[in-house]
Amino acid sequence: MSNQSDLVLSRPYLTKAQLQRCQKYSIPDRRAYNQKRLLVFKYLGQLCVQLKLPRKVLEATMYFYHRYHAFNKFETEMCYDVGTSCLFLSCKQVETFKRIGEVCSTALKVRNVPRVTPDILDAFKKRVIQMELRVLETCSFDYRINNEVHIDEFIIKIGRELSFSYDCCRLAWLIAFDVLKLELLITVPSHTIALAVLKLACELLDEIKWPNVRYNLFETDAPSFNEAYFDILNFYINVFDACDLKDHDAVRDLNLKIETFIEIKKNAGLEYGLTVNPIALDKDDYVSKERNFGVKERRYVLKKDSLLEESVSKKRSISDVS
Amino acid sequence: MVAPSQFKQLEKVGNGTYATVYKGLNKTTGVYVALKEVKLDSEEGTPSTAIREISLMKELKHDNIVRLFDVIHTENKLTLVFEFMDNDLKKFMDNRNKGNSHKGLEMDLVKYFQWQLLQGVAFCHENRILHRDLKPQNLLINNRGQLKLGDFGLARAFGIPVNTFSSEVVTLWYRAPDVLMGSRNYCTSIDIWSCGCILAEMIMGKPLFPGSNDEEQLKLIFDTMGTPVEQTWPQVTQLAKYNPLLPPHMPRDLKQLLQNNTEEVLDNNLVDLLHGLLQLNPDARLSARDALNHPWFAEYNHAN
Repeated sequence: MSNQSDLVLSRPYLTKAQLQRCQKYSIPDRRAYNQKRLLVFKYLGQLCVQLKLPRKVLEATMYFYHRYHAFNKFETEMCYDVGTSCLFLSCKQVETFKRIGEVCSTALKVRNVPRVTPDILDAFKKRVIQMELRVLETCSFDYRINNEVHIDEFIIKIGRELSFSYDCCRLAWLIAFDVLKLELLITVPSHTIALAVLKLACELLDEIKWPNVRYNLFETDAPSFNEAYFDILNFYINVFDACDLKDHDAVRDLNLKIETFIEIKKNAGLEYGLTVNPIALDKDDYVSKERNFGVKERRYVLKKDSLLEESVSKKRSISDVS
Repeated sequence: MVAPSQFKQLEKVGNGTYATVYKGLNKTTGVYVALKEVKLDSEEGTPSTAIREISLMKELKHDNIVRLFDVIHTENKLTLVFEFMDNDLKKFMDNRNKGNSHKGLEMDLVKYFQWQLLQGVAFCHENRILHRDLKPQNLLINNRGQLKLGDFGLARAFGIPVNTFSSEVVTLWYRAPDVLMGSRNYCTSIDIWSCGCILAEMIMGKPLFPGSNDEEQLKLIFDTMGTPVEQTWPQVTQLAKYNPLLPPHMPRDLKQLLQNNTEEVLDNNLVDLLHGLLQLNPDARLSARDALNHPWFAEYNHAN
């Protein structure tokens, strides 16, 4: 254990390229990771139902889950523990507090673990609590993201603002459930996702034309919006079988197929999103260097000025000595 | 940025339910800080109070709110690094009381502290954050007479009005009557009531409503402010813990009550402001911004 201090600036969202760079160290087998991610999502969804938790808990949980695996090695035998720990933390985060005992015993039931003894339960609780701090750390103790309004609430707010019908907002809300499976949660903020799912809902219903939205009015921009929009479209095109939307009673009349989304994409214009200069990516230690959790004192700040203030003071004290 | 360990831990300055606070020194910048060492609960992990405090305070940068500089994770210990403050309002007032005699603060100081308190609260509310635990112990002061809001352990963000907030918030003496009667859809008015209680306490040198349980707390409030009825507070009878058998009281003369407890001469503007802050009906309470624009603060408003 090093006796040094590491000062880290929080970066709550990473572009796809940055994320892939991080995952170079944490996810050796992408296919296994993706398969497990869908299983863990299903398990967490069931856990939320059993514990009567709102959707925003699942959203915060998946944000934490994706973040965790950006900076910590993915291990198949650990991912359910990681998921449970993320859920336990999310309950605190969104103020739907649940006791660790209730979370863990329900989790073991959902996973059909046979013959749960008090020892098994205690060991599980311990693992979940130990992992919680690690999850917090991968988010730089930055709660700006999951703290206030969530995707489903933004759908209602923005849907009202744009005078969309109830059916359109409801469809957007159903699409947003599928979005929780995607790493998009850690790529763009929730209001941008809400805007993107509303656009897709409009197009699927074909009842209103998507208005010419000025993105800055919604605190976003065209690259972020398109990143979200195309990522969601690609999900339905590439892994349609993994979506929950197609099985929902409310959309039966729409007769959704992969072709529906391919057709929408055809008419969507050039695919683009958030980009990063590859040279900048190479120089970016945050994503290009494996995180060293061996540094004894790891400090996390939200604002760049804190980082600058300290490096200026440090330079000054070095020049004073010399 | 990797460097040798940044902080030197000095003497202990406080001990709370979820954390121990030490004075510390940032060895690089030479600035004193408060190091709040969070006790990690072996049963429930990171306390949710710490989570709230980190999440909300990191966003708030204002002269009347204690700054959270950063969060340190060392092995299995979590430490929050705050701006260092010399004292809190409770200790400051206690030091001026001798034995059982209560002595309020000078009126100029009361006004200056209340102005700063309302500035901090207005900033929180404008950033959609409720403090939910305003009391003299959580108002930190320094030798320059600056007052800052601290301890955001019970604070929460409010985005869309929801009715699922906890009713177990705010230390009893500063808790609003609507919360005491079980309201869970309170908003910024919850902090305003506390501001009113604190203003009265600074004047009198003792708490305005020092109840020992919920019932007594409500009794003390209604004895002074009058028992609410539907005409003065619509829908009060619908609150979960509304007691229809409450004895009816007319409001007492607040000015007289305060005047009996202070040597300072109270002006009508002050009493009017206090009435605005201590409205039983939460919808009728002043907002922090309205309170700052009140004529009692005319000298500050004109200076600006």
